[in-house]
Amino acid sequence: MRVVIAEDAAMMREGLVRLLTDRGFEVCAAVADADALRSAIAANVPNVAIIDIRMPPTHTDEGLRAAIDIRRDHPDVGVLVFSQYVETRYATRLLADRPTGVGYLLKDRVADVADFVDALTRVASGGTALDPEVVGHLMRAGQDTAGVASLTPREREVLSLMAQGRSNAGIAAALVITSGVVEKHVVNIFAKLGLPSSDSDNRRVLAVLRHVGGA
Amino acid sequence: MTSDNGPMTALRAPFTTLALRRAVFCVVGVVSAAAILSVPAIVPALGVLILWATGAMSNQPAPAVAPVFLVLFPLTIALLVGLAAPTGRAMGAVHRSLADRLLDVQVDAPPPRLSKRISAVVSDGPGWRAVGYGLLKVPLAIPEGYGAFCYVFGLVNLSYPVWWPLFRNHPPGTRLGPVWALTPFGTIGTRTFAGTFLIAAAGLVMLLVAPWLMRAGTTLDLAAMRLLLGPRRLAERVRELQVTRARAIDDAAAMMRRLERDLHDGAQIRLATLAMNLGMATEKLGVDGPPPDLAQARELVALAHCGAKDALADLRDLVRGIHPPVLDNGLGDALATLATSSAIPVAVNVELPDRPAPAIETIAYFCASELLANAAKHSRATRIGLGVVRSGERLMLTVKDDGIGGAIPDGPGLSGLDRRIAVVDGRMRVHSPTGGPTRVEIELPTQV
Repeated sequence: MRVVIAEDAAMMREGLVRLLTDRGFEVCAAVADADALRSAIAANVPNVAIIDIRMPPTHTDEGLRAAIDIRRDHPDVGVLVFSQYVETRYATRLLADRPTGVGYLLKDRVADVADFVDALTRVASGGTALDPEVVGHLMRAGQDTAGVASLTPREREVLSLMAQGRSNAGIAAALVITSGVVEKHVVNIFAKLGLPSSDSDNRRVLAVLRHVGGA
Repeated sequence: MTSDNGPMTALRAPFTTLALRRAVFCVVGVVSAAAILSVPAIVPALGVLILWATGAMSNQPAPAVAPVFLVLFPLTIALLVGLAAPTGRAMGAVHRSLADRLLDVQVDAPPPRLSKRISAVVSDGPGWRAVGYGLLKVPLAIPEGYGAFCYVFGLVNLSYPVWWPLFRNHPPGTRLGPVWALTPFGTIGTRTFAGTFLIAAAGLVMLLVAPWLMRAGTTLDLAAMRLLLGPRRLAERVRELQVTRARAIDDAAAMMRRLERDLHDGAQIRLATLAMNLGMATEKLGVDGPPPDLAQARELVALAHCGAKDALADLRDLVRGIHPPVLDNGLGDALATLATSSAIPVAVNVELPDRPAPAIETIAYFCASELLANAAKHSRATRIGLGVVRSGERLMLTVKDDGIGGAIPDGPGLSGLDRRIAVVDGRMRVHSPTGGPTRVEIELPTQV
């Protein structure tokens, strides 16, 4: 799997290259700013790009803007945006048109190598990976209006994992329950929130996020 | 100006550029006073003109006169009232700029008018005060005019003996009228060359007296300007406070931004990398049994170890930048500690009977820190003296070095300090001639 990395902190960039190479990814390019990222994407057309939000020259949201451009110009390239803080506005901007092949994670998540690699693989193959923090923010925001309050604690956990972009099997593994139980929870959640049920993980994420006030 | 009163100074006084500038100021003052005096003459003249134009002055009374007059009279009054304050403001601005350019005296502008509405224009206090200055200008112009007259005609009279031989070279026996010269006490005439020396002597006296007359006139004028053309005392203070408050808010916001940036690019990224390395190391060590890749795991743990130490160092620097813990023991200890980290030897002398307010200690500390850093960067000094003494309710911080001088008070570093201390009504004096030495004095209140 081919990866392009855009991260301005050299230490982090080198660490990521090492981690991903070790895990069998092919790192085509590791760059430090948005312009270099755009040309690296055009030159390599990777499966996925890891993009830091804050990069030179303004250190504000150039990474995010580059990510949105890349999603528009190269729909086949998965985009994993990662940052040291989460902004729900950024998440909704990223997910605005379609929730496929996109991720938004805190940089802290690289500490759990397996989870991080799993999220990256998901994004590369057209799936979604939203940071639990982002989902938490969105769910808190949607708490009052969206019927989230009527969910049981277990259902909330399942909803949160769904919104993060996990498949039923992934949710089952994370909560140490069987897939059948997960499916039952999912049906209940969609019924309580009044959403049409959906098989595709991506459509599910979008439905859930729309519902709780996100995209 | 008053301390060096010698006979030479008195003789030199008329021939300085200051005297010339004062003379120009005085002449302009007389002209503006004349213009102001003419206003009361212009208004009735306009009235008469209008009456004449409408036919009121002709022998046959026109039927339209009474209504026209009834409309025009209040209109004129309204126009006068409406125009007075803006005119006053404009005239005040001209006089302030004259004082600035010619006398090097800055009188601050009053706060701007609140709105352009008629009510605001009519009730514009600073505008009316400026009108008051205009009225006062008439008596003020008298000593000014007198001084300028003495200056100009003193010079003219002094020159009589020079041009006498040039023009009075008629054949002997020619009968000529006397030559007249103007003095403050009337005109003097002479028919002889010797007489021109008398005129020249009168001119010299006038010239020597002129600077003092002009000085008296301009001093009075400047006092009136400060009183009537400047902002009111309270308004002045409010303005000052507004400015320093805005700066304090900006500084605080900038500091928070810098702090966020330092954390984001420093400790936070180091810790994220450290976590990543430990995560990788954990994988290399495996869940149980013999580690699958011990060599790599060791390397990663060593990397993480270095990262942790770097993050700690980063945080320590950051914390010291926010509030040096040693400052809790007092300014003396804090400055002594600061001095030990300076590349140039610093002699510290702190004499404080009791501790100033914590905010003042912090400001003093950061000023000292910035000044020491400046000295290390730019001064090429070999020793620095750092002193803090208490004088009354003020604290004096002095930093001096034996370097090359040339510090710019308006530069980004020093002006930043100035902003910081202005918030607590502190003052900074920078004495740093090219070639050195540099001496910076900062005066702070002991309580906020």
